[in-house]
Amino acid sequence: MYVHEPVSAGFSYLAPWIILAPLTGLTINSIFGKRNGEIFVGTVASIAVGIAFIASILLAYTVAQQQGVVQYWTLAEWIHVGTLQLSWTLRLDTLSTTMMLNVSGVGLLIHIYAIGYMHEDVRFKQAEDRFTGFFIYLNLFIAAMMLLVAGDSYLLMFIGWEGVGLASFLLIGFWFEMDTLGQPSWANSNAANKAFIVNRIGDFGFLIAGFLMFWHLGALQFDAVFAAAANAEPWVVPAITLFLLVGVAGKSSQIPLYVWLPDAMAGPTPVSALIHAATMVTAGVYLITRSAPLYALAPEAQHIVALVGAVTALFAATIAVGQYDIKKVLAYSTISQLGFMVAAVGVGAYVAGMFHLIMHAFFKALLFLSAGSVILGLERGHHQQDAHHGHSNSNSNSNNHTHDHNEHPPFDPGDMRNMGGLRTTMPITFGLYLIGALALAGIPPFAGFWSKDEILLDAQHHFYLVYWILTIAAFLTAFYMGRQIWMVFFGTARHKAAQHAQESPPIITVPLMILAALSIVGGMVNLPIEGWHTLKHWLDMTIAPIAHTVPMTHKGVTSGFNIYIAGIATILGITAIGLSWLLYGKNPLGPIDPLKKLLGSIFMGMERKWLVDELYETIFIKPYNWLAKILLGKYTDRGLINGFFDGLGSIIVLLSGLVRKTQTGQIRSYALTFVLGIVLVLSYFRC
Amino acid sequence: MSTNLTSDGIIAFIPIIVAATTATLGMLGIAIKRDHFWNTTLMLGGLTLALISSVWAWQYLPTEAVTDLFIVDAHAHFYMLAILIATIACIILAYPYMQSHSGNREELYLLMVLAATGGMVLVCSRHFAGLFIGLELLSIPMYGLAAYSFQRSHSLEAGIKYLLLSAVATAFLLFGMALLYAHTGQLSYAGIEQALQANNSVSTNLVWTGTSMMLVAFAFKLSLVPFHLWTPDVYEGAPAPVTAFLATASKIAVIGALLRFLYTVPALNSEYLREVLAILAGISIIGGNLLALLQTNVKRLLAFSSIAHFGYLLIALVASQQVLVATGIYISAYLLATLTTFGTIAYVSSPYQGTDIEELDRYQGLFWHSPYLATALTVALLSLAGIPLTAGFIGKFYVMFVGVNTAHWWLLGTLVIGTVIGIAYYLRIITTLYVTASSTNQIRLPIGWNHTISGAMLIIIGILVILLGAYPQPLLIIIPSTITNLG
Repeated sequence: MYVHEPVSAGFSYLAPWIILAPLTGLTINSIFGKRNGEIFVGTVASIAVGIAFIASILLAYTVAQQQGVVQYWTLAEWIHVGTLQLSWTLRLDTLSTTMMLNVSGVGLLIHIYAIGYMHEDVRFKQAEDRFTGFFIYLNLFIAAMMLLVAGDSYLLMFIGWEGVGLASFLLIGFWFEMDTLGQPSWANSNAANKAFIVNRIGDFGFLIAGFLMFWHLGALQFDAVFAAAANAEPWVVPAITLFLLVGVAGKSSQIPLYVWLPDAMAGPTPVSALIHAATMVTAGVYLITRSAPLYALAPEAQHIVALVGAVTALFAATIAVGQYDIKKVLAYSTISQLGFMVAAVGVGAYVAGMFHLIMHAFFKALLFLSAGSVILGLERGHHQQDAHHGHSNSNSNSNNHTHDHNEHPPFDPGDMRNMGGLRTTMPITFGLYLIGALALAGIPPFAGFWSKDEILLDAQHHFYLVYWILTIAAFLTAFYMGRQIWMVFFGTARHKAAQHAQESPPIITVPLMILAALSIVGGMVNLPIEGWHTLKHWLDMTIAPIAHTVPMTHKGVTSGFNIYIAGIATILGITAIGLSWLLYGKNPLGPIDPLKKLLGSIFMGMERKWLVDELYETIFIKPYNWLAKILLGKYTDRGLINGFFDGLGSIIVLLSGLVRKTQTGQIRSYALTFVLGIVLVLSYFRC
Repeated sequence: MSTNLTSDGIIAFIPIIVAATTATLGMLGIAIKRDHFWNTTLMLGGLTLALISSVWAWQYLPTEAVTDLFIVDAHAHFYMLAILIATIACIILAYPYMQSHSGNREELYLLMVLAATGGMVLVCSRHFAGLFIGLELLSIPMYGLAAYSFQRSHSLEAGIKYLLLSAVATAFLLFGMALLYAHTGQLSYAGIEQALQANNSVSTNLVWTGTSMMLVAFAFKLSLVPFHLWTPDVYEGAPAPVTAFLATASKIAVIGALLRFLYTVPALNSEYLREVLAILAGISIIGGNLLALLQTNVKRLLAFSSIAHFGYLLIALVASQQVLVATGIYISAYLLATLTTFGTIAYVSSPYQGTDIEELDRYQGLFWHSPYLATALTVALLSLAGIPLTAGFIGKFYVMFVGVNTAHWWLLGTLVIGTVIGIAYYLRIITTLYVTASSTNQIRLPIGWNHTISGAMLIIIGILVILLGAYPQPLLIIIPSTITNLG
């Protein structure tokens, strides 16, 4: 077993607090939360994450002081049996501290935002007692995510991996007894189940990879795995990396396991922003970056990773073009952007991938939260208009669920066809959304431009096919964001709710402004100018020692700047926005999407998500249900299997009854048995 | 080889001395003034002192035997600690139980202290004389304890049954010792080992007969099939705190002594012996579990399940690899879980003047009026069933681990079958705790029960079961450190 001397300097002793602080927060809230009200709960949860954030800063500072030398902090020994040695050790290097900062920083802003958001949301849904539960789950998520990024072995990472999966499940199904419109239905619950089950498939891949490591490399601790991988049999490392890719496809929602993420938007908007855009879904990218030495030994696997990422990026972007739900567009956009990151780490551009991961966390969180603000604005407008139009107050509040359902189709505050003209009614949100959209579209000088450019540059250098796929995807990205901006904020209001929409309070908008500022200047951390590659230098302390073994290395090119690539990307982006203006911004929108007239059935495909859900339904779910029905039938489960076990049970019960007859209670028979026993034992010797 | 008692030796002996003094003082205390509270406190205090002194004396371990008869090494300390913890817990449980007892109450504690002293002597002995003294000092108070509620015929019957059958077992033990002495001319373990090695006569009829007879006596005390028949009757008849004592302190002392005997005289620990142990283990696992399956009397059910548990434990002895670690861990888990289960019975029976609540029906819906106690009981039962995240799982895992390492496949097969049957009846108790009560017969606990020492103790032990299951590292550090050369 690989043994490392625990090194720890500076503020390393704070390492446990990145996990303990959110755990303490959720403990306090689960005991005292309900009694003390919303402000208390929100404050405790936010302070807990704030402590984790401060600890992360100090840890990053320590790592910087130590010139990137890995610091280990062992919380406790776990189990030590034979050669299996497991301990709760946290690993502090530039990669893990970057992820910690990302998780706790964005997490903190979203916690604060959620205080305002959930305050309104629980009131719209008539369930004020669930406010506390939301923050408990959110803190649970932060704790699990911190363990995921800080754990020093694949096992600890897997525990965190499962933990975030659990938190994600709980939060997607937070309003489990209704659908996204608040109607009684199992839609949200089904979405949560879908996310959980699809993720199980991915986790299965991760588990297999873990077993392979344990059997063939004899270790789960990172350094030990990497050291052993070099001398492993030739099939082992490719197998491990491909099974890890299955895990990545599940968690980071890549083809073919991406289907859960759009449905996951059933969760409250802060959840979509934090878990399903900024942090949890990037865990796969982190996993591949962390496993870089393994992928270095398996170039074929790396090619597959790059292709999976690129194809996902393009495929999801086409679907995003055809969506009407404001959050669904962002969901598919997230899948597409995750594809960019996976493709980046697939071509060996780990720094570019991590760079895009962080920038994406800023602008996608911003977009989701702004979308949440838009939805709340429309809900406020809808309620006001309801009251205004003589619906009795009690009706619009308490009987909303059943009443609306029967009379007219329920109002969907997330449908972009109900919006329009919001730039006048919600000017702050508009400005913030615009910044996020431009950053996502990759327009200079916003954050997304720099990171996307770096990915394209690396792809062009190492894998030409991937470069082209990503360029087309980038074009579509700019197009669907343009489409969204025109549909939501420009033109005239297409629904009364949009007319009466109201701007959100500062507790919602202030965190957004911080994210917006980061989306504008975030690119500064890694500008392609000599002396400005701060992030690259920082991450290279951890990645560079392993990168020289990577066949497809970024031999200094990431720091370069190719005017053609940047130029093409920018021109394509601006063209796409222009094109979207021609279609959506120039003329008032009718009931039929202008692109539909243009593309016909192709647009239908985009709108219907290329029927992938239906395909899975036919291939997997229906045969599965059929099989389950057969197996449960009269001749199989209830007949054969039940019969077998019932029979077995009866035999044991029968035996038990017989054996019990020996307990006669008669002392003479007891003594007799005793003597018989000793005769048998004695005679054994001569047998 | 003669050793004089040195000052180091006295230090090592302190726990036993303190326990013996406690018994004497307890007796005097009762003679001076009968007072339930003060007499109990006195004896409890004495045992606690013995516990502390055992922990303290651990660091002053003598490198050599203390006397010809006894050795106090890390192994002895570990088992003495277990016995003391069990006894203290049983006394705490007995206190509320005895409050409603109509006869003399204080002697119960006295007998327990005496038996505990016997157990401590037993695990230290390295000589047949010490072994015999210890075993009898442990057993004779047990007869009185089992028959303590003699107003109930069941209790009296239990005491007499245990006395008679125990006498048979003791006769076999003495006979076995005599045969070994006849062959070797030695009474100390080391001497026997030397003599056997010297004339290389391990596999003679005389030695084998002597060893088997001693083994049978041990098997009786550990209630292994087919020497188990007394177990359910005595467990059922004895007052519940006594049953708890019998199931924990008494059995732990015997297994500690058996381990020392077998590993100090490795010449006797032959292939034959291990085969016999394997058969005993197998039939105990199957027999114990089958007997437990249909029981509705909780005390009898747990009696049968304890038969199976010592069957599981024997697998480690058969595998004879890392035996002391595996048994140590298994014993710790068994101790905690058994204290909780029998403790709960004792505790809920306290207000009923000596009639124990032992029918499963009476526990219906316990969870709904005493959630904490029911949860602790659930945890203990899950631990006995060997469910992960409980201490019982760690114990069973270790036993399986050594079994797999030494490829005792059929024995592991019985372990798996036994565990499956075990889960069936443990779950039956657990589900009973959670159904809503239909009978008016159900037990009621006094309000504020969990503020009493006994109630709080049960909950703390329940928490320990979970804690050591999730984080077994303390056990895994302490127990291997008790492995010394047992000679």
